Amino acid sequence: MIHGARRGAWSGLRRLTARAQAQMLAAIVVPGPEVAAALGLDLAGAGLLPAASPRHASVLVVAGALPAQLREAAAVLYAQMMRPRAVMALGAGTLAPLPGADVVAELSQPALLDAVRRLRRAIAGGAFRRDAAGFDAPVLRSRTEYVCPMHPEVVRDEPGSCPKCGMTLVPREAQDEGGHAPDAVDASTGMEMEAGRGGGESAYTCPMHPEVVRDEPGSCPKCGMTLVPREAQDEGGHAPDAVDASTGMEMEAGRGGGESAYTCPMHPEVVRDEPGSCPKCGMTLVPRAAAAKDAPEAGHAADAASEAAGGRHAPMDPSGAEHSAAAHTGMDHGAMDHVAGHSTFMSMVAVTRDLPRSPDGLPMDWIEVPFGPLFPGLPGGLSLVLTLDGDTVAGAAAQAPVAAAAAAVADAGGRGLPAAEFARRLGAMDPLAPVAYRLLARRALECAAGVEPDSRGARARAGAAERERLASHLAWLAVFLGRLGLEVHARRSWGLAASMRGADAARIAGLAAAVRVLVRGVRRTPLLETRLAGIGRLAADGRLRGPVARAAGVAADGRVGDPVYGALGFEPVTRPDGDARARLAVRLDEIEQSLRLVRAAGVLDDSGVPGIGAASGTGEALVETPRGGARLAVSVERGRVTAARLDTPSTVLLERIGSLVAQCELGDALTAVASLDLSPWEVVA
Amino acid sequence: MTTVAVLAALLAGAYAVAVLEAWARTGRMRPGGPLFAAAALIGRESFVPRKPDRLFFEAAPVLLLVAAVLAAAVLPWAPGLVIVDLATGALFVNAAFAYVLVALIMAGWGPDGAYAMVGGWRFLGQLIGYSMLIVMPITAVAMRAESLVTTVIVDSQAGVWNIVYQPLGFVLFFIAAMALAFLPPFDLPTAPGELAGGVEAEYAGRRLAVLRLARALLVVAVALATTVFYLGGWRGPWLPPWAWTGLKTLAVAAAMFALGGRLPRVREAHFLAWCWKLGIPLALLNIFVVGLLVLAVP
Repeated sequence: MIHGARRGAWSGLRRLTARAQAQMLAAIVVPGPEVAAALGLDLAGAGLLPAASPRHASVLVVAGALPAQLREAAAVLYAQMMRPRAVMALGAGTLAPLPGADVVAELSQPALLDAVRRLRRAIAGGAFRRDAAGFDAPVLRSRTEYVCPMHPEVVRDEPGSCPKCGMTLVPREAQDEGGHAPDAVDASTGMEMEAGRGGGESAYTCPMHPEVVRDEPGSCPKCGMTLVPREAQDEGGHAPDAVDASTGMEMEAGRGGGESAYTCPMHPEVVRDEPGSCPKCGMTLVPRAAAAKDAPEAGHAADAASEAAGGRHAPMDPSGAEHSAAAHTGMDHGAMDHVAGHSTFMSMVAVTRDLPRSPDGLPMDWIEVPFGPLFPGLPGGLSLVLTLDGDTVAGAAAQAPVAAAAAAVADAGGRGLPAAEFARRLGAMDPLAPVAYRLLARRALECAAGVEPDSRGARARAGAAERERLASHLAWLAVFLGRLGLEVHARRSWGLAASMRGADAARIAGLAAAVRVLVRGVRRTPLLETRLAGIGRLAADGRLRGPVARAAGVAADGRVGDPVYGALGFEPVTRPDGDARARLAVRLDEIEQSLRLVRAAGVLDDSGVPGIGAASGTGEALVETPRGGARLAVSVERGRVTAARLDTPSTVLLERIGSLVAQCELGDALTAVASLDLSPWEVVA
Repeated sequence: MTTVAVLAALLAGAYAVAVLEAWARTGRMRPGGPLFAAAALIGRESFVPRKPDRLFFEAAPVLLLVAAVLAAAVLPWAPGLVIVDLATGALFVNAAFAYVLVALIMAGWGPDGAYAMVGGWRFLGQLIGYSMLIVMPITAVAMRAESLVTTVIVDSQAGVWNIVYQPLGFVLFFIAAMALAFLPPFDLPTAPGELAGGVEAEYAGRRLAVLRLARALLVVAVALATTVFYLGGWRGPWLPPWAWTGLKTLAVAAAMFALGGRLPRVREAHFLAWCWKLGIPLALLNIFVVGLLVLAVP
């Protein structure tokens, strides 16, 4: 029995398909496969198939505890999955608003294998249910709002026309709760949620003629366009009209104080007091002022474009020139086309006139596409909203909704946390680098207390940190190769990354040969260097750290000058180019280097708590995490941490994403972001 | 009867191709895999996005299926084992393959989703790269056979297969055929890890099953075309002719999967540059060389 069963009675065919589905478990893992690997889980090894999109997934695997922001995104993801669908929780705490887990297990590979077995049984016997309930969560509720295609700032609760250009407003979905950003609805993967999930019932309306409303799908009697569903108002009590009465008032004012006459863009002699459609051609009437204002401008732009040789309007694209030439030599219906933005005709000149222009000069519709925070192919917890101009990235906004963890740890100091608890919390902050952050806390506390670390313990901790770097780089490699389509290498890399967790020196020595074979195989992959050259170039500056800085030729490495690493024979690896190819090369070299360092260290151990007694003082430490040097300053009073300041490498990387991806092709932009190996968990807001 | 036999052969080919693809992707050979996958997909919910272009959304998988079957309809499995032996067969293959683009654009546009749309338009860019490299090598093949009839083309390879006679044409056609079937490393329209499935992203359940079947048939069709045009079609000793066609077709498909798994996905800009700056001059050179050979060696 599973919560996400498909509604329906059992039949012979359904029994058969349920068994087949139990065999073909396509999984999507949250927060992300890299977190699962850091926790020691090898999902492919447990027989779970990777799903490219939530639509194709049948299992949502929750690895570890999810922060609240990701649980909401995961609920959206779950709603996007097709039934029958199941939730498998591995070592997870609260899941709400997700439904309860169908299979619960602890965080380990044997437990995962057993959980997969149990899940197969549950699906084979419970994929269909006569009384299957729908899934609902506050984050999924939405209402329809109306927005101008040309002026995104114009948003209304009712259909109508834009006070600026008179175009008919088009329906768009927004979230049905005050505080949330509208984007949050689709934030996790940008896909729409399933249709039949309950809530408001649908009415169908024409995107161009909002006055056309039907109960059933069909086409518009006026323009023949396919009707689109419009969600009827939620019964849930919200009255959007009342809420936004003020904006409604603004709209009236914006129209110019009651001077509201409507005219047909094609037949200027048709003038009406009310919105409606033209009795001659059926087009939606537009406010007269707007029509009068628009026409000359559009005509001017087109004329200018036809003199494209003059170059004054260089940004105007050739299609504009062709278009206006056609209009002039043709039927002399220039005016018709130029105000066509208001009608079913879409003149490129009129439609793109007010759009922002990208440096390549091609006017196109810009769309905002959310990637993340749970996008397959980006680090889990990284939320990227790309403004796409065709398939070129015109702008990017990157956020780390899980960054709160780092801030909370830094704040925690203010409340006088016991030192051991502080170290534990810092270690739990970033699931991708717990060892490095525990080590950071320990070093800073020891520095504050003036305690000299014992050399043998320091050596073992360095070994453990190198093991973590090995696992982290391998998991990054798996993600990176997977998104480049090199699935054979990626699969091998996932397995190796997962088996590094908790491995001792002897086990790592046993895995070393397989790791070297993988690294050699990646280096010898034909066309890989050509593929990556020039992508995501970042110049070295003082703030970049870690592999990204070392790939740009700067030997910024917290291990340089550390006597423990000096004794192990450490030398930093650098490459000059600063692009994705150099980052791959640096991390491949570091994987081999970490193998050597682990062997040299001999023992790997980072257990135990920093014993600083009831000391007081301030201390600072720098530890090279897998993503670069992290710095921590602490003040300790009588064994309690009273203040802490944390500085992490991913914070800088997150700031750079905007400039990194600007004007890149979409695929290159995502490759560039992936090449950074950013951990959203350690971002300090 | 012939039609039924060819359609059965195509379905069997699609099944084998699905096994091969899963093997290349997961490293495990599961002979029953496609059966399970199909049974699982049929039992899952299918879904229509909220603002679809319903006609495009529903028609795209079917159109892709039709395009693949139409192309395969003029390709012979054995003497007499062809659905239609058209006088313009080689040209017809081209025309049928052109609808792959239409189907993918429709699948991208239909669901009204950004990932699908980007995937669909990417394939339009890809077509600009590969389309000439489908047509021009076929031109050289038809030159040697002095016919567009596919069975005559097979007969023209009685002595030397075209893969030996015009190796350059074979390499170009092979690569272009992979791009046409959007196989890795040319899987820009689906791009796992980049576009959340791209044109496939909004298809689920039985619609996805049709789409996957169509894609597998398309791979069979391009591999069969490669076999007919370059590998001597049904020619070979000992085995019956249809078995040779089947074996060669599967070998071509396996080679495509093996190659695809070892190369990183191309960048659109690189692909276009290589196709136009390198591929087309080489295709012209191939036509020139084949022309000389046709004149010199009667």
